[in-house]
Amino acid sequence: MEIIKLALRNLARQKKRTFLLGSAIAFGIMIVTVINGFAGAFVDNISENFANLAAGHVFIQGVEKSASGKESDIIRDDALLMQAVKDANIPSKYISKRSSAQASLIFAGHNAQLKVDGVDFSKETFLPERLMFIKGGLEGMKQRDGIIISEPIAKRLNVQPGDRVLVQLRTLTGQQNVGEFSIAGITVDAGIFGSMSGYANKTYMNELLALGPEDYQLLGIYLPSLKGTDAYGKALYEKVKAVAPVFDRDAAKNDQNFIRSFMNQGKTETWTGIKYRVFTLNDMLAQVKQIADALDTASLIILLVLFVIIMVGITNTFRIILYERIREIGTMRSIGMQRGEVRNLFLFEAGFLALGGAVFGLVLAFIVMAAIGGISFSMNSPVFIILKNGHMTFKVDAARMLLNVLIVAALTEFAAFFPSRNAARLDPAVALRTVK
Amino acid sequence: MKRLLGPFAAALAAAFLLAAPAGAATTDFKAILAQIDKMQDFGSSDFSAVYNIVSEKPGENPATTQIKIFRRDLQNQILILLQKPEKQKGQGYLKIDDNVWFYDPESGNFSHSTMKENINNTDAKSSDFKRYTFAADYDIQKTEEGKLGSYEVWIFTLAAKNTEVSYQKIRLTVRKDKAVPLKEEDFSVSDRLMRTTLFLPTYIKAGDRQIPAKIKMVDELNKGNQSVLTISDVTVSKLPDSVFTKAFLERAQ
Repeated sequence: MEIIKLALRNLARQKKRTFLLGSAIAFGIMIVTVINGFAGAFVDNISENFANLAAGHVFIQGVEKSASGKESDIIRDDALLMQAVKDANIPSKYISKRSSAQASLIFAGHNAQLKVDGVDFSKETFLPERLMFIKGGLEGMKQRDGIIISEPIAKRLNVQPGDRVLVQLRTLTGQQNVGEFSIAGITVDAGIFGSMSGYANKTYMNELLALGPEDYQLLGIYLPSLKGTDAYGKALYEKVKAVAPVFDRDAAKNDQNFIRSFMNQGKTETWTGIKYRVFTLNDMLAQVKQIADALDTASLIILLVLFVIIMVGITNTFRIILYERIREIGTMRSIGMQRGEVRNLFLFEAGFLALGGAVFGLVLAFIVMAAIGGISFSMNSPVFIILKNGHMTFKVDAARMLLNVLIVAALTEFAAFFPSRNAARLDPAVALRTVK
Repeated sequence: MKRLLGPFAAALAAAFLLAAPAGAATTDFKAILAQIDKMQDFGSSDFSAVYNIVSEKPGENPATTQIKIFRRDLQNQILILLQKPEKQKGQGYLKIDDNVWFYDPESGNFSHSTMKENINNTDAKSSDFKRYTFAADYDIQKTEEGKLGSYEVWIFTLAAKNTEVSYQKIRLTVRKDKAVPLKEEDFSVSDRLMRTTLFLPTYIKAGDRQIPAKIKMVDELNKGNQSVLTISDVTVSKLPDSVFTKAFLERAQ
């Protein structure tokens, strides 16, 4: 206990030096915590934004193969699928049933490419809640040929609500088709993905795609949160597998790019009727997770590099401390302090320095994250996809934070160990005789 | 009054029937269509040619694309290699039976594609360079007589037999004096005119066949967009088997 008190007193004696060393440690901890926090929220925010754009966390796609080997996405009778959703006990917040096409919008010599989703506005409540209109609105979608586009597309085409545009697309079997649409509304640009999407009535889209009025291509199940996405996806896969032919998820699970391998399964298989593909948002965003993992690894490397530099500083500082306090050490040893206690005194000083610096660093990190989180980014910001409601968010994992502090403490102790051992090994008589 | 109108209407209908194309009753339109297909089918010979495509878009400078085509119709093989512009040089399509791959030398990867893709932002599609299959893919819905420039023509309205061809309806204008198309109008499933192709009546010899030396494609949706294709370096000599391989595309750059 006396050693702890002495260690704290020694740190307090040299305020400036303690502050500088502690600040170096705090800076390292702050940088790493902010990066960890960003990586933690990065996946969640992208997943949530992507779920909003794709209108679901868990998806079922129906695939039909023609005699010539061409694959077409189609779900005709979904009674079995809806029963499977029910049997899998999925707490769906919304269910979306959409038909879509990559289309070219043409107006008065201007041209824009975008994905047009066919939506049943009378049943789907998800989209109307999300859309933020600048001009026009959902009223125009009561017309069969209404279309909603984002602001950048409207600007590129130079259109206003009420203008009639041509939409060139391909039918399910790849035939050229053209529809005429009326601009019903122009929405706020929701970042790069949002600006590439438009929405039309499913009935008209189905007609242009040569689908039946009740057919669609993708069933999306929107969960209350990201939590449980994989588990619900697995449960749904098993339920659909029990009642209909499905693409085998297990066959692709060892592939580095699961989703590509899973989506390409149909190319090598032949089947009749409709075969279903059950997949989740996490399957699609596996590569985003890899980016987050890479960020986490990078932050750990940054932490180690920073601390190797800081360790050199700590070792040098403790050597100076040893030199400065050499007669004090001689005195302490003369009045009965053992070698181990002298070593521990220095190690306690280093430990308190590390802990103090780490706590200070964490406080700084939370201040920095709060400050960045307070910045409001515009909806058309290119970083929209990584934002949550227009703000950058951070998610710090407590275990990861503790690990960082432990690494810092261990490295600091290691840096201080050799000067501490040298101090402990000093001959008291020699130490007392030393003149600085 | 009705009594008077009845015979009058019947007489009118008879007059229309009599006024129908004199040759129409005796002309074998299916045979004409088959002849057109045959004109572009090199059978057991191989075919290669260079197509220079000049595309015009309003407000933009004309862009030139050059492609080299290699065809082996007997085995349903085709290779399209982009030679210009420099940026896309080395890109290409390889079709073997029903499989089509696109090769991008920048990534060094092949990806599955279709013959319905437009080539390098021009109005020409990959499928425009394969042999014609009008007789196999389309039913003759209607034939009319007409005149295009100084040529007496048949105008065929063709309806797709299957849903896998690009255009659901085609109106084909063919010279009466020989089975050579002068104009092709392509319609969408919703019956909107999408593209007009004019085969200018100057021909180039390809073995024992004659093919149009210049073709003009007009985009009817994007007004002002058009492409002019000029054919050169036509040969029908035997090509090495190695041409119709992925390795050829990889090495071709």
